[in-house]
Amino acid sequence: MPEVAKILPFRARVGVVSCSREEAAARARTFLNLPEADRSDGCVTDAYSDGDVLTSICSELWELINTSPSAVAEESPRIYKWLSAKEARDFFFDERDYFLGESALLAAGSFRLLGKRDETERWLDRADASFRHTVAPAAHLARVSYIRLTLRYDMRRHEEVLELVPSVALTFQKLGMEIDLAKCRFLEAMSLKELGRIEEAAASFECLSSGEEYRVDPALCGMALVNLGNLRSEQGSFDRALVAYRQASPLLKSAKRFSALADLKLMLGGTLQRMGHLGAAVQAFRESVNDYVALGMDTRATYLRVVLAEALLEEGKPREAEWEILAALPTIDQEKMVPEGFVAISLLRESVRQRKTDPKALIELREYLQTKN
Amino acid sequence: MEISDEFEATPSAENVFETEVQSVFQETLGLIHIALVSHYQLTEQEATELEKDLFVWFRRFCYRPGASIRENRPYLLVACCQFAREYQKYVVGTGVRSSNERLKSLLDREPADVAHDFSRSLQLYDFRRSDA
Repeated sequence: MPEVAKILPFRARVGVVSCSREEAAARARTFLNLPEADRSDGCVTDAYSDGDVLTSICSELWELINTSPSAVAEESPRIYKWLSAKEARDFFFDERDYFLGESALLAAGSFRLLGKRDETERWLDRADASFRHTVAPAAHLARVSYIRLTLRYDMRRHEEVLELVPSVALTFQKLGMEIDLAKCRFLEAMSLKELGRIEEAAASFECLSSGEEYRVDPALCGMALVNLGNLRSEQGSFDRALVAYRQASPLLKSAKRFSALADLKLMLGGTLQRMGHLGAAVQAFRESVNDYVALGMDTRATYLRVVLAEALLEEGKPREAEWEILAALPTIDQEKMVPEGFVAISLLRESVRQRKTDPKALIELREYLQTKN
Repeated sequence: MEISDEFEATPSAENVFETEVQSVFQETLGLIHIALVSHYQLTEQEATELEKDLFVWFRRFCYRPGASIRENRPYLLVACCQFAREYQKYVVGTGVRSSNERLKSLLDREPADVAHDFSRSLQLYDFRRSDA
């Protein structure tokens, strides 16, 4: 190939060498295990400019996203920033756009798990803009749409989720992306549950947890069981609820789905509270709070503190309830979890100051956070 | 202690994947070469080098979420046409090589359209092969 080829708008190399997947994965892990401060420019360039290693870095981050979203939220924007400063000709064909899209989607997914909605939307737009220029964008754009739908779910726009999820699911079905298809079905079931369409939701969770209709990964199966247990609990079938939780726990532990395990503890706490086992319920809520804090999911932990405070009041422990409320208030203000002038928060603040926690204000706050967050 | 042959003979999912990528690429290579040499008028040496790049790209492309390796074959042709078009446009544009009417009209066309025509040839070829 003549020398001129070396300055073409695509990489033209003589003697192309591609490393094995194992080697690329090992290099990716070594890179990710290095603290950022210890990464030299050369080390970063070596990792990010090698398409095989970058593919493995993205895979590793997808593995990590549910166990450590804050780590992914730090790592993926760095990749995006590095790629943005490069030109398309430094990469093979559409790979700059693909990796830009992938790193942006990782950032979006992790920020969504951390409850940072504005940043999630911004990263989704970036992912969308990059994936659109890849050779086969349908699969990736559907993945972007899926995270957009999860965001709508978080914002309690459940009717919209139910309207739009079939189209995304159809794309996954056509492309044979079974695990993503199962995730769509799960999201649909969750929205049905939130809308009070209990029987339909329960049927979907049962279908997912049986693994008969879709290929479901253990983590999703565990999450379906947790929610099935929650529905059974709300229906008053506490024994069936506890059975479902018991089945879910090992699946979530083996899949290292710590945020789902925190959800499990929350729902178990709710069931125990309904059964009148207040001490055990408080213990489950406390563990759930600690798990969310450890995961960096501050808004979720704050909501749980309010739930915990309510249970503590019910248990006759007003001092401990005050501590939880005092721990929750800074994040409620900082993350604007309630609108300005929200009366219940002022009443609650004042009642805690006077060491006479207002239970009505606490319930009102919890109900608001439950519906809005 | 005897070690079962069966264990050795069972290929890992990774190996199956790599073999499938190579197989699909090899099956398409004839068409790629025709596209590069006969249509985009690259020299044999240039075509061989571009084919190496295409393989590296295709292998990684198949690791992306989405369609199966075999279903990715049309995209391999789109990439091939895009590579060839950009290369020839550059070489012709810098005056290293002169163009002709046939090449000019091909370079004016969108690579995806050209690849689509090639795909149809591929389907026709597959059909004839299965018929035979």
